[in-house]
Amino acid sequence: MQFKQSQLDNGLQVIGEVNPAAASMAVGFFVRTGSRDETATISGVSHFLEHMMFKGTARRSPFDINREFDQMGAVYNAFTSEENTVYYAAVLPEFQPPLMDLLGDMLRPALRQEDFDTEKNVILEEIKLYEDRPQFRLYEQLMREHFLPHPLGQNVLGTPSSVTALKRQDMQDYFDRRYAPGNVALVAVGNFDWPALLEQVREACGHWVDYSVDRQRESWPGSRKTAHMQDAKLLRQHVGLMSSAPSAQSDQRYSAHLLAAILGDVTGSRLFYALVEPAIAEEASCSYDELDGAGAFLTFLSASPQRAGQALDIARGEYQKFLQAGPTESELVAAKNKIASSITLRGELPMGRLTAVGFDWVYRKTYGSLAQHVECILAVTARQVLEVARQHDLLAATTVTLGPRPAL
Amino acid sequence: MVVAVILARQEALPRLFLRRVPNRLVDKRRSGPPAESDPGVDETFYIHKLDNGLTLLAQRLEQFTSSAFTLLLPAGAAADPSQAAGASAVACDWLLRGAGQRTTRQLHDILDSLGCQHHEDSNSAHLSLSSAQLGLNLMPVLEVYADIVMQPHLGEDSFPACRNLVLQALEGVEDEPMRKCSFMIREQFYPWPLGRNPLGDRQSLEGMNAPDLRRHVQRCMTPRQSLLAVAGNFDWGTLVETVERLFSPWKGQEPPPVGLRPAEGGAKQISKQTAQAQITLAYSSVTLRQEQYYAARVAEMVLSGGMSARLFTEVREKRGLVYSVGARYHALKDYAGMFVYAGTGPERAQETLNVTVHELRRLGEDIEPGELVRAKTQLKAALVMQGESTAARADALAGDYYHLDRLRSLAEISAAVDGVTVEQVLEHVRSYPPRPLTVLTIGPQPLDLSICA
Repeated sequence: MQFKQSQLDNGLQVIGEVNPAAASMAVGFFVRTGSRDETATISGVSHFLEHMMFKGTARRSPFDINREFDQMGAVYNAFTSEENTVYYAAVLPEFQPPLMDLLGDMLRPALRQEDFDTEKNVILEEIKLYEDRPQFRLYEQLMREHFLPHPLGQNVLGTPSSVTALKRQDMQDYFDRRYAPGNVALVAVGNFDWPALLEQVREACGHWVDYSVDRQRESWPGSRKTAHMQDAKLLRQHVGLMSSAPSAQSDQRYSAHLLAAILGDVTGSRLFYALVEPAIAEEASCSYDELDGAGAFLTFLSASPQRAGQALDIARGEYQKFLQAGPTESELVAAKNKIASSITLRGELPMGRLTAVGFDWVYRKTYGSLAQHVECILAVTARQVLEVARQHDLLAATTVTLGPRPAL
Repeated sequence: MVVAVILARQEALPRLFLRRVPNRLVDKRRSGPPAESDPGVDETFYIHKLDNGLTLLAQRLEQFTSSAFTLLLPAGAAADPSQAAGASAVACDWLLRGAGQRTTRQLHDILDSLGCQHHEDSNSAHLSLSSAQLGLNLMPVLEVYADIVMQPHLGEDSFPACRNLVLQALEGVEDEPMRKCSFMIREQFYPWPLGRNPLGDRQSLEGMNAPDLRRHVQRCMTPRQSLLAVAGNFDWGTLVETVERLFSPWKGQEPPPVGLRPAEGGAKQISKQTAQAQITLAYSSVTLRQEQYYAARVAEMVLSGGMSARLFTEVREKRGLVYSVGARYHALKDYAGMFVYAGTGPERAQETLNVTVHELRRLGEDIEPGELVRAKTQLKAALVMQGESTAARADALAGDYYHLDRLRSLAEISAAVDGVTVEQVLEHVRSYPPRPLTVLTIGPQPLDLSICA
């Protein structure tokens, strides 16, 4: 496994982890932009633009792009979050040259009016699709309640009205502000040819013109508000808690991952024994989201409307207990082994390594091998985990409920 | 569970629409020295049968740190007693509520401390127990699973919670129309009870009791017809020895046969205030044992293999009617189908249905050479890339052996895919036309289904 790094004259970062033993390679353009970089009038533009990247360039139609990916047998897609937009593909190594030509070209889209109009309907359908998913609605509302007026509270999808009102030129302007080469990293992992990759990236992206791109990154403790979304059509009551956590740049992030696993992994955690094993809640989990200059612990519960209040009280009680005594040694060992196992399993797939290597670079401008990450997890002490819990009180949380009950 | 919001350009179809029968790259090897590997592809396979009927399948993948196994037990949802639909799903949870010398907590603690990523699942034919972990923990984890299989406590006291969790999961499905559809279309399409919702129904679950379920589980958790598939970096001699030592005391009879009733088929429209109308269609296809299997998989790719495939191009790219549309092949041992899904706003549901059905019918008219080439490339690339996960490999070994009673090599599959011609695909599509269509819709208004007749 070899780490490689370079930078084009225009500022585009090129990062690689070469693994000659892999059967495939994965490549992604990581663009440091998302809904937190939007204003209210263009809410949803990052995600809509991500779709438009597949709709053609000066030399390719939308159908050319799809066809060329499929001709390579590529596994390909793109995603947008509050702060990152990533375009990626995994192929067999023989397809490295055409893949780099295609992906590089795509990142300078034509944004044709006709395609813009058609794709807008797809986005509006995607918004509707998520309306039929209670857990997603809850998450979106929780982000809003917790973060607004901080930009991290701005929804990725936008709203039907913001998307409907969006003009092609708004998108072009946003693209011209955010897609500077210095704001993009090209990440490759698996079995690929590094010198050739550099050449191919230069060929495809060397002409991009650089300019400076900003992001507001002030810290934010979260609102700690409580909100209820009543929906009489639902049978289940969903509860979400969000509280502050170490940022993606913090040295405490390994401890934070362990804390979330001890408290709320899907098996063997405090919430599991307190809520799922006795069937008070069907789902009870805690996870940790690393964000740029911020972080969040997210607790999620799903229970019957009658028992949701009890489930929430029990979850809070568990957090309270943890704050007093911290983790037991066996809990800590189990959580470490689970996380080490899980990152190893993910890391065995080029696609799994791609996001790990990519986000290491995007957030921290560092590279860590899989073994180094495992070592960092194994080195965390019980005291460090407790310290994170005390510094970031999970009970000081923003709370949102969704379900048939008007309140809990 | 919500972890983070990641909005992708194209979403995978709901889990039940995904292939349960992955592509695989496997060869038939008997217990003994491994065969030579093909250049560049690790294809070292083993098969060993225990006297009690359990079959051990394995693929050694030396470059991996992890190892994974899948244990398929003939205790799937189709075998649920008729008055106890959901038994298999309840059993999935109940099996982990204490086994051998360990209590529930001790059992979870030992699996956690071994870094197990374990998963219990109930599908039509099998109750499946799978686990992935670091390779060095494989043997200790197998020891724990030997207890789970042979000495589960199945205690009276833990039964109500297990049943309750399945009841809650069933309610959760009601809140998510896309998931509900994916369960219901199978129920309607396959002969009863093969497509039955593994979560069962409220009435059956409420009527279930611990002694009856225990008897059922003990009857169906039998080594006869059970498959244990292992993929990763292991020593074959040690693996056989360990599995013999751990599992040879396991005894059981042949699993009871499942009596079938003809499929319900036809059309159903469920009225519900949803944001999107859900449209699901199904029609017959060939099983893995049938001659046209590879032609069917190529046809699936032409329809829905990638973003250049017909459904995505016509329904989404050209018309912007949907975010999600696709078709997936799904096979049980003796029945198989193509399952088609589209979700769209109620006002555009009729057009979406019409365009989708039109595309299904048009497939039999002609297929361009370029479409054939792309379909084959996708199938073959997927084979290689799936080979990069030990968990996917273990699933594939078990699935292959279940369907075919043998394992296939990558070379065999590649050659078979390469050999498919346009004429063969067309012949397949014409002999398995999308007519009659089994139809299920969920949404605020019923659709005009005359096009589906």
